[in-house]
Amino acid sequence: MIMRVLMVVFLSVVVTTTLIGCGEPQETLTVIAGSELKDIEPKLDAIAKTTGVRLQMTYIGTLDGADQIVNGHDQYDLAWFSHAKYLSLLQGQTKRIKSEEKIGLSPVIPGVKESLARRWGWVDNPNVTWADIAAKARQGAFRYAMTDPTASNSGFSTVMGVQAAFAGSSDAITAEDVDVDKLQAFFSGQVLTSGSSGWLADAYVRDQDRIDGLFNYESILMNLNASGRLREKLILIYPKEGVVTADYPLILLNDIKRASYVKLVDYLKTSEFQQWMMENTNRRPVVSRVKASSKFPKGFQLELPFPSQLEAVNEILFAFLDQHRKPSHSIFVLDVSGSMEGDRLNSLKRALLNLTGEDTSLTGRFARFRNREIVTVISFNDAVDVHDNFDIGPQGKGIKDLRDSVHGLHAGGGTAIYNALEVAYDIAGDARAEDPGRFYSIVLMSDGDNTSGSNYADFNEFYARQQQELAGIRAFPVLFGGSNDREMNALAELTGGRVFDSRKYSLAHVFKKIRGYQ
Amino acid sequence: MSRRIVGPLISLLLAIGVGAAIYMSASEQFQEMNLEVVRGVSGSEKLPFFRDQRTIDTLAVDPFHLKLDVEKAGSRQIATSYNLKEYDFAFPAGIPAAEKIKQENHIKKSYQPFFTPMVIASWKPVADILIENDVVSVKDGAYYIVNMEKLLNLIIEKKRWTDLKGHEKYPANKSLLVTSTDIRKSNSAAMYLALASYVLNGNAIVQNMEQAKPLMEELGQLFLRQGFTESSSQAPFQNYLTMGPGKSPMVMIYEAQYLHEAARSEGAIGDDMVLLYPEPTLFTNHVLVPISENGQRLGEALTQDEGLQRIATDHGLRTKNIKLFNQFVKENQLAVPSYLVNVIEPPSYEVLEGMIQLIERKYTDDALM
Repeated sequence: MIMRVLMVVFLSVVVTTTLIGCGEPQETLTVIAGSELKDIEPKLDAIAKTTGVRLQMTYIGTLDGADQIVNGHDQYDLAWFSHAKYLSLLQGQTKRIKSEEKIGLSPVIPGVKESLARRWGWVDNPNVTWADIAAKARQGAFRYAMTDPTASNSGFSTVMGVQAAFAGSSDAITAEDVDVDKLQAFFSGQVLTSGSSGWLADAYVRDQDRIDGLFNYESILMNLNASGRLREKLILIYPKEGVVTADYPLILLNDIKRASYVKLVDYLKTSEFQQWMMENTNRRPVVSRVKASSKFPKGFQLELPFPSQLEAVNEILFAFLDQHRKPSHSIFVLDVSGSMEGDRLNSLKRALLNLTGEDTSLTGRFARFRNREIVTVISFNDAVDVHDNFDIGPQGKGIKDLRDSVHGLHAGGGTAIYNALEVAYDIAGDARAEDPGRFYSIVLMSDGDNTSGSNYADFNEFYARQQQELAGIRAFPVLFGGSNDREMNALAELTGGRVFDSRKYSLAHVFKKIRGYQ
Repeated sequence: MSRRIVGPLISLLLAIGVGAAIYMSASEQFQEMNLEVVRGVSGSEKLPFFRDQRTIDTLAVDPFHLKLDVEKAGSRQIATSYNLKEYDFAFPAGIPAAEKIKQENHIKKSYQPFFTPMVIASWKPVADILIENDVVSVKDGAYYIVNMEKLLNLIIEKKRWTDLKGHEKYPANKSLLVTSTDIRKSNSAAMYLALASYVLNGNAIVQNMEQAKPLMEELGQLFLRQGFTESSSQAPFQNYLTMGPGKSPMVMIYEAQYLHEAARSEGAIGDDMVLLYPEPTLFTNHVLVPISENGQRLGEALTQDEGLQRIATDHGLRTKNIKLFNQFVKENQLAVPSYLVNVIEPPSYEVLEGMIQLIERKYTDDALM
């Protein structure tokens, strides 16, 4: 009897919820989106209320997102990235893009500290060129932050823009069009890299006394200037040859949802939303009836061309990684204590081997160790074991030695995290003193508490003593198994690095992501 | 106590729920029963017309009783990679694609309800420079004519904007190029190719591949040098509307796209935007190829019903009813010629397709280099 009543109650709930569903049509669409679109979130409720469409956002990098959409298993209804050019080239015959409508605009440009811009006569000067910027970088006078072009769109747009500007025409560009020397000079000014535009802006704020400017979206640079976090204002430079503008297309992937998509686009293009977007996110409106505010410079900006072939884009990216950017020296500090035995050690080995070229997916090929890179592997339990500095080189010898070394890792013993970390910092500091033309970074992977040797306080003291020698060498701790989250966060904070959580994603995925910061 | 109240309440709710469900599906079926569903595949540029509520309503009642189910596809795609047996009609843009479809499916009949000339969307300062350099002229004090031979010569000589007299108004150190869609996918780029091939062939339609081959180097340049091109005709026009003259100073579009936008109450056409009419020019004819009897009925409706033609005119399309078009132009105060002289025909499907394939090959060769 009770069962029957429960059954009826259950049925009535089903019926009533269905009825409510009919009366108030609200649909949820899944969206795979660029992380900088988080700033739309305050408006999601209003969007749902006006259009009846609730957006459920999943954030990811632009190239990674394009790869997911074309090759991944997860099906999304919509995509919303800073641009769709890469996806459009990558999709080939799969035709994943059913429709696209641009929603907001933001050029990717350099922001330069006011004092420098004044000294160089760059304030309110429409004739500054990409070549002028390259000249300052070559002299060491302009040290800047830029994201990794294979992980984040602002770096991607900068690299494509520089390439096109130096090719010197509006014609389609290829990797061969530009002198290696010119590009190397330009990128020699880069002193900070990252996998995300938002993190780059934060890291710039933290290190603003040592860095002269950054490449980012106009919108992010304006936000920085308005934030009160800068000791010196940034002057936004719009290079004369042109810029690459992010146009934020909302893309329909699932054709069945077209009716909702049309409603969404209609709303996002209303004066109300466009005005809100301009005021709150500093993106420019796409409809002419919303007048661009006076904070945007008057007159038009030239737009630089973009390659027509996926192969050409990829070639430019690989040339950047292998030839144009400053090479890196990447140090991996790896826990091989007893608790790593079994699956944990195996997944660690897999993550590293993937970076030696064994992950042949597109994003895997971008993430692999590059031919001018030096990789140092330090493993630790109670003792610290420094493996060689592997000079990757184009020949493959370094890769083979590195693989052998990874295969040879075995687990056992205690956990002397900070002894190992001090060794890593000593190596990095010495190496940088000898060869300052590289990026230095330290990845720390440990699955538990520190059990022997120096403790975190000791390390803190060690670091403070050599602040000058070690500044800018960031530590990227990976949270894994039972690692000490509090200490790992403190370590990232202390060194200007970032914590990566591998409990949600595989270690291989996390290592690939960290590559954007090396 | 509570159980006694819950019981009747549940029955009531169930009754309402089931009743509502029956009522809704019945009324839907009632509507559907009267309408014949016509399935078709069409170029993207006509979808706004098909989705217009007035179009849907007109077709739903006497004497048509039709309900459209339209899929979009590039016109070249319709001609080459669709199994049309499953559809009632195909509606590509451009006579060449339509001829190919008719041939492949052994269909004789076709309808040409609408057409629209190819035009170049541009900007006042850009037009002024081109006037100063004798490439563009103003006709009847109202609209712009661009001399295609002169324009193509500048492009082929790889001139930059900074090489032209009076370039201070558009001081761009960029090559002169007309932005088009992806020639491998879209009809509007194919129409640009058709136009350019006519001019480069000494103002004569290219008749065969022997005539085409010596022109291919120069024709290929028009597209390859653009870099990234969009695959549907709507995208470059949208860029034109939103990104200003810095992105593309000249964009090859359908006249209908511009006119429709200019006539919309919330349209995005600004004061500094202008249309350049190429001379010679060519029309894109929208050709409905009927595959079933219902497809034929739709073709007849679109060519004969004045109400439908009026809606098409509101979408900027021209029909055989010139009065409607002139009225539309007048109501919206547009600077548009009502007749165009010097209109040429595109080459045959085989020649156009042959030229596109040669350019397609250049894209791959370039990438491998």
